[in-house]
Amino acid sequence: MVNPILLIAVPLGLAFALPLFGLLSKKLVKYIPVLALLFNLVVSLILLPRVLERPIQVFIGGFSPPFCINLVAGPVGIIFAALISLVGLLVSVYSIDYIREGPREKYHVLYLLLLTGATGVVLTGDIFNLFVFFEILCISSYALVAYPGDKPAIESAIKYLIQGAVGSSLALIGVGLLYGLFGTLNMADIAGRITSVKPISVFVPLALMITGFGVEAAIFPLNSWLPDAHSSAPSSISAILSGIAIEVGLYAVVRVTFTVFGASSIFMFLTFLGILTLLIGEMCAFSQTNIKRMLAYSSIGQIGLILFALTIATPYGVTGGLFQLISHTLAKALLFLSAGYMIYRAGSMDISTFKGMGKKMPLTSLAFTIGAFSLVGLPPFAGFPGKFLIVRAALAEETTLFTVLIGLALLGTVIEGAYFFRVVQIIYFKEGTAGRRKEAPLAALIPIFILMTLIIVIGIYPGLVTTLLNSAASELLNRFGYIRSVLG
Amino acid sequence: MRKIIGLILLIIIAVGLGLALVRIPFGTSKSRLGEYYIREGRKETGATNIVTSVVVNYRGFDTLGEVTILFTAALGVGAVLSIGRKRKNNIKHQPASLILRTGCRFLFPLILLVGAYIFIHGHLTPGGGFQGGAVVASAFLLIYLGCREIRISEKGTKAVESLAGLVFVAVGLVGLAVSGYFLFNFLPKGISGRLFSAGVIPVIYIAIGFKVGSELAGIIDALVEETE
Amino acid sequence: MSFLHNYIYYFGAFGLIFIGLYIILVKRNLIKIIIGLSILETGVNLFLVSIGYISSGTAPIFSRPEVEAARMVDPVPQALVLTAIVIGVAVLALALSLTIRVYRHFGTLNLRKIKEQRW
Repeated sequence: MVNPILLIAVPLGLAFALPLFGLLSKKLVKYIPVLALLFNLVVSLILLPRVLERPIQVFIGGFSPPFCINLVAGPVGIIFAALISLVGLLVSVYSIDYIREGPREKYHVLYLLLLTGATGVVLTGDIFNLFVFFEILCISSYALVAYPGDKPAIESAIKYLIQGAVGSSLALIGVGLLYGLFGTLNMADIAGRITSVKPISVFVPLALMITGFGVEAAIFPLNSWLPDAHSSAPSSISAILSGIAIEVGLYAVVRVTFTVFGASSIFMFLTFLGILTLLIGEMCAFSQTNIKRMLAYSSIGQIGLILFALTIATPYGVTGGLFQLISHTLAKALLFLSAGYMIYRAGSMDISTFKGMGKKMPLTSLAFTIGAFSLVGLPPFAGFPGKFLIVRAALAEETTLFTVLIGLALLGTVIEGAYFFRVVQIIYFKEGTAGRRKEAPLAALIPIFILMTLIIVIGIYPGLVTTLLNSAASELLNRFGYIRSVLG
Repeated sequence: MRKIIGLILLIIIAVGLGLALVRIPFGTSKSRLGEYYIREGRKETGATNIVTSVVVNYRGFDTLGEVTILFTAALGVGAVLSIGRKRKNNIKHQPASLILRTGCRFLFPLILLVGAYIFIHGHLTPGGGFQGGAVVASAFLLIYLGCREIRISEKGTKAVESLAGLVFVAVGLVGLAVSGYFLFNFLPKGISGRLFSAGVIPVIYIAIGFKVGSELAGIIDALVEETE
Repeated sequence: MSFLHNYIYYFGAFGLIFIGLYIILVKRNLIKIIIGLSILETGVNLFLVSIGYISSGTAPIFSRPEVEAARMVDPVPQALVLTAIVIGVAVLALALSLTIRVYRHFGTLNLRKIKEQRW
């Protein structure tokens, strides 16, 4: 039986060792993140069947909680860890050929550290530890956004950094308030004691932490950094930021709200915020001409939809939200990876230069199209079961309010379909400048192909994933089960 | 206009924080965690400095994360500042005066010694790896300011950084292999109050001291190169 | 009076936090904003440390055998602040290096003028 701590310790050790490998051989360096993430993927898949029944508790240092830091490898944690390592692995294979200029060795180390931070956030059971790993994620993403070194990249990075650092400081104030109130930092312990103080004292730390983690989760109105950052970063990093970083930020918000605070009164507020984020994201995406900015605003919209679904707080809702999260990660990664080489070929990020790309890069354009269709929610792609589950969850509430909200969400989907179809039309049905047919290199096509296959398979057999997600949903909704499994 | 919005936002936050703080008395009771660590710390970890035993042993995972953050920042600074920079060697510096140069050279090993003392004795006296590492880095800063021609080799700092980080992770993994718990304190705890006590804690703190010292020195080096 | 005496550390910490937030929200010069960020982080750290304080307490170090355990302050916030200070230094170093690059690209540190991208 494998210890889940290896999911964090092994990539961390390899990340520390990477510069030493770099001193030996410069060519070896690009393959180390691939190895580390492959290891993580294998370990999380091995652990997955075991944790569905009962979470594995890892006590670090040999003491017992709440006097030690603990990892809670439950269904939610391991599913997220598997998703992070899968997408991370595919994008690291893509990066082997995509990253050609600049201090490449530092890129690979920062990349591995970003994913290690993300894995640490989803597995930890201690609130200060959550903050520390969240900071690892954020700081490596600030540095990676600045990696291209040109004007837009540096501008986006500094703005992202300032907003992110203010958010983190607010979250830290929240952690301090929690420690002052309860005298412990263990999430299960705090959750058990949350009712012993007046709600007003608990409201402030909750608000601070939602705001602090919400900056990274790109909830409205904290998301002004996102379009700049995701569009100026290299495409592999945009895929990771849109596909993993904001999802992990949303996980932190959800974990704090659902498990630690159990604050059912705030769910309604977050539901409205989700719909608002969705509509604003999709409407802004509609008017973009820069393809990466369009995809970035689409990510904002999708996170709003996922937040809406999760805060319905019923098993249907949470399962639908998690399914949509997984399908968004896969589809958005596919979109950014294929767009990366299309931009390289067309020479610009403006959508109008993609005319005729369907003939020049047929496989890559097909991948982009599949990603777009999945995101909009067409069958037989993975986005369809996700949206279907969310609609069903909202209608199951049987209130006019939720019917109106889901109507607004579907309006958002229509807008999404409009701007994605526009791009697909330009790619396939407009005549472009003449050019030979030259595909993206093999290192890029392998991950693109794997993502396409996964999207289609999950779309046709959603049951494969929903069984896993049902356990995850019950972990999130069942606070007392969580507390019992940690503290006994 | 913007100032008014800013002020209103701040007043809202102030009122909220004030309400929250009424419930947290100042300077009175200790938390459960605090009581436990002070009571059991010396026995369970062997360190007389309880803050050290919390930082390295009870909450050692946080310290691992912290060391990683500093590593990330050093890499980030190196990556951001190295793009598009033309290597300019052989810059003629105006040499500093004899007194300055001699003074810096004299003080450098003494400051290193103080820093090393702080991080080696982290489990006995106030201080530890981070504090000692910062003092060590300030010694390098003194050299940069005083004797401007001297540069530390970038490969050297990278190698020390990586090795020290690996030592930390390796200690954790050995603990995992020996007892089934990551970062378990597997070396003998000895008599508390002696230098060779507290098991694995001095080893980790020495590694952290080297790491932080070389990282901060690397950051200073990258920033100084910028001003050339 | 004793109320003020007890809460002076909290007021000080929050004063720093608000000054820091005000600077970040209102000022336009990038260096000033980064200084504001540093002040904000210092205020947060001060707040964290003052949570653990025990009146007329002493450091939690058993330097001499006869130090009373009952009068020691809480060691946990001190450990938290150690980590938080290092995180603050890391963010500051990255921010300053980015500021150097911003100045090289844009020639100005005025945040209003650093607007390469349309919305």
